[in-house]
Amino acid sequence: MKLHYYPGCTLKEKTTALDVSTREAMKRLDIELVEPEGWTCCGAEYPLTEEKLVGLAAPIRVLRQVREEGGDVVVTTCSFCYAVLKRANKAIQEDPLKHKRINAYLRDDIKIDNLTKEKTTGFADYNGEVKVMHLLEYLRDRVGYPRIQSRLKRDLKGLAIAPYYGCRLLRPHEEMGLDEPDNPRFFEEFLEAVGCKAVDYPFKQECCGSYLSVSLPAAATEASYRVLRSARLNGATAVAVTCPLCFYNMDHRQNAIKEAFLDFPGLPVVFFTQILAWALGVDKRLLGLGEHSVPADGLFVDHPMAEVRS
Amino acid sequence: MTAKKKTKEKRIGLFVCHCGVNIASVVDVEKVAQVLKDYPGVSFSTNYVYMCSDPGQQMIIDTIKEKHLDGIIVAACSPTLHEKTFQEAARLAGLNPYQIEIANIREQDSWVHTDKAKATKKAIKIVKSHVAKALQNENLEPIKVDVNKRALIIGGGISGLQAALDIADHGYEVILVEKNPSIGGKMIQLSETFPTLDCSQCILTPKMVEVSRHPRIKLLTCHEVDSVSGFVGNFKVRIRKKPRYVDETLCNLCGECEKVCPQIVPDEFNMGLSFRKAIYMPFPQAIPGTYTLDAEHCLGLNPVRCGKCKDVCEKKAVDYDMKEKIVEENVGAIVVATGYDLYTMQALGEYGGEKYDDVVNGLEFERILSASGPTGGSIRRPSDGKIPKSIVFVQCSGSRDTEKHNPYCSKICCMYTAKHAMMYRHRVPDGQAIVFYIDVRTGGKAFDEFYQRTVEEEKVLYIRGKVSKIFKEGDKLIVWGADTLTGKKVEVEADMVVLAMAMVKADGVMDLLKKLKISTDIHGFLAEAHPKLRPVESLYAGFYLAGCAHGPKDIPETVAQASAAAAKVGNLFAQKELAHEPTVVPVNDELCSGCGICITMCPYGARSLDPDRHVAAVNEILCEGCGACAAACPSGAAQQRNQTDDQIFSMLRAMLRE
Repeated sequence: MKLHYYPGCTLKEKTTALDVSTREAMKRLDIELVEPEGWTCCGAEYPLTEEKLVGLAAPIRVLRQVREEGGDVVVTTCSFCYAVLKRANKAIQEDPLKHKRINAYLRDDIKIDNLTKEKTTGFADYNGEVKVMHLLEYLRDRVGYPRIQSRLKRDLKGLAIAPYYGCRLLRPHEEMGLDEPDNPRFFEEFLEAVGCKAVDYPFKQECCGSYLSVSLPAAATEASYRVLRSARLNGATAVAVTCPLCFYNMDHRQNAIKEAFLDFPGLPVVFFTQILAWALGVDKRLLGLGEHSVPADGLFVDHPMAEVRS
Repeated sequence: MTAKKKTKEKRIGLFVCHCGVNIASVVDVEKVAQVLKDYPGVSFSTNYVYMCSDPGQQMIIDTIKEKHLDGIIVAACSPTLHEKTFQEAARLAGLNPYQIEIANIREQDSWVHTDKAKATKKAIKIVKSHVAKALQNENLEPIKVDVNKRALIIGGGISGLQAALDIADHGYEVILVEKNPSIGGKMIQLSETFPTLDCSQCILTPKMVEVSRHPRIKLLTCHEVDSVSGFVGNFKVRIRKKPRYVDETLCNLCGECEKVCPQIVPDEFNMGLSFRKAIYMPFPQAIPGTYTLDAEHCLGLNPVRCGKCKDVCEKKAVDYDMKEKIVEENVGAIVVATGYDLYTMQALGEYGGEKYDDVVNGLEFERILSASGPTGGSIRRPSDGKIPKSIVFVQCSGSRDTEKHNPYCSKICCMYTAKHAMMYRHRVPDGQAIVFYIDVRTGGKAFDEFYQRTVEEEKVLYIRGKVSKIFKEGDKLIVWGADTLTGKKVEVEADMVVLAMAMVKADGVMDLLKKLKISTDIHGFLAEAHPKLRPVESLYAGFYLAGCAHGPKDIPETVAQASAAAAKVGNLFAQKELAHEPTVVPVNDELCSGCGICITMCPYGARSLDPDRHVAAVNEILCEGCGACAAACPSGAAQQRNQTDDQIFSMLRAMLRE
């Protein structure tokens, strides 16, 4: 089956590991990922500001394109893209003024677009018809854990993974609504479904430092350190993330963390899709592990699944 | 035609009140009386400084007799204040009290206007409209009904017990229904009570014993109210008797059954901090003093599977064949004292109450403090039994949070947290107690002195601010919070955390309240008839409220409210028969199409559909005369007495005519 997939720009540049492992894992589940034609940046943080309307144009254009291509669901893996698309979609559904103005803008945009094309296309308002889902949500609600489990090829015994939610997957709760923001469980459920031990630790939704990485690196270093330390103390062999920025702060920044906090010996950080792909039998070379600053190869030990399962 | 004839003959008297200057300073009362003098139907018109005074009333009485008036209008304050006064005056003069009309020219005129000319004009219009109505008023007689002088009390906590004792001491019979195996409610679980630190069990058990021995109280534990029908003075109650599987008249508390029972279950009385057997006595002073078999945890009430308790019982009290049954009782009044529960720890995921054994709620800490508790009164934390050297108390856990939790104040937490901290410092003198608070509210007799002692003598550290997160690191709980006085983030280590969880409606109480058809506020607490003047009555006649079912409150307030409810029941029962306002809304069968709109409109459950004739039927005793049905009735079949559509339209015509 085909599924619209919005990778977002980071996945094409800094964190191809997330993109590659997602594609490999989805292949194993017989899902063909389709990128909406001509997709652009979702706008990152900008569309999330309350007042500025213009930021909404980018995400809504993407969502409209998904609809034009006949899609009713678009899946993302990056937490930021997910939050932006979902919240922009909600704004269009619920705020008549935003709906009117963004559609007016997109209408003009399409007219200009038509000048460069041979065939003109009509324009119908985008009303928020496309459902924005995070891949974890899609796997849980649409694919279903039993179907994933029936395709597992490797036993992940020995992997004790600390799920890291970060901020964007869960908050603001009224708009995201994926799980209870103060004590979420769905990431753990996913990890357990694919055969890992999920480590419970109190920092799973504390901030990684986010964009402070740019303006105040020491603050981001400390914030990420606290998360990693807590995961280690609770027995994790690695931290799993969904967000490229969290990955950057906790993986790429880990040398700085070790320098600043001498008690911290290091901890690999992986994407949830890498774990999924590995469990589904994807070759280690296709997981994008070369991108990691903290070597994560050691986590992926090949224990073929006992045949009895199928 | 007959009605028209009657109106022509009617002689109306008008009495315009000055209300000192309240009315007279804005409305030209003399002019009002003057203008209306020759208005059609008005035979007499005057004004007086205080109509409600004795001379004022006497004037009305004398004038009615002298002028042979058969309807009067008092233009004065709102009818909620003095309608009864003037009705009584009319009755003394031999006039039917329902011939009295009150024209409100104070609240709806003089108090809200300043322009004297316009206000006077308005007063004249108001009075004219009442003349139109008074011409069509009929003589009415109050509806009489007998009273069954027995009371039902739902809930055997302190409020239910107090209400039961008071009503029984008034000389009336009481049926006390409690769903649990013993009476005592939440209060029996408490350790000491603020602000005097007297032992909760010691002051409650005498009342429990008194209730169980009182000749006029019928105590039904393990019973639940199944349904209530009827109306004030005449309720029929179906009560479900849940099997106890132990004959309470035979059980001699030897305890042999408990010794042999193989099933171990968390003990509710100790908030799950210790264990009991499937056959158990809730607590040593339980009333009735008998063992109870918990069928849910028993191996199946089956002598083939286990049957140990039955075998060992010399008195043959254990009976696996007991069945649920329905008992019917007739009562005249019902006191609802269903109590409260604590907000669940799951709702506050960030505090980790679900995850960590050492994060406990207020009631759990009461059990830890209690001499009859799981640790015998020694303060030990649940996870490893160590004595906690530091405890953080978090007030307002789930209270006063308009966004995510309960917006209201749970009222007792400030005081019980101070008590907890004080008792902890008494028993662990080298321990550190820290309290996070939003405000400390100590309204109550000797409450603030108690709190001051906690701070000054017991050296309890109070930090003003909320707690954001509690988690475990190694052996310690880490509490993150804010100190809003310094504006700094606070991080403290503690061995144990006590959450003063919000008080919420009792678990499962909504099902019961739906059966009783009495209303609640948006939080599920019982709604009172008037927040100030009728605080212990429900809007639904014959129902009375007591205790925390009505809202968070402490023990003295609960006891006072229970006694007040009992006094109200006493008022009801002191009457030979009940008089009900006759201004109800009957149904004109000829016009009623049986559409049922009025039934859905009625907030009192007074209307139903007559299944045979397919028209609406009215229980006049339940009807409070609000008029909702009359307004909604599409055919005009529902007409309120002395407030008919004809009367309303003629009032409008009189008011709108220049």
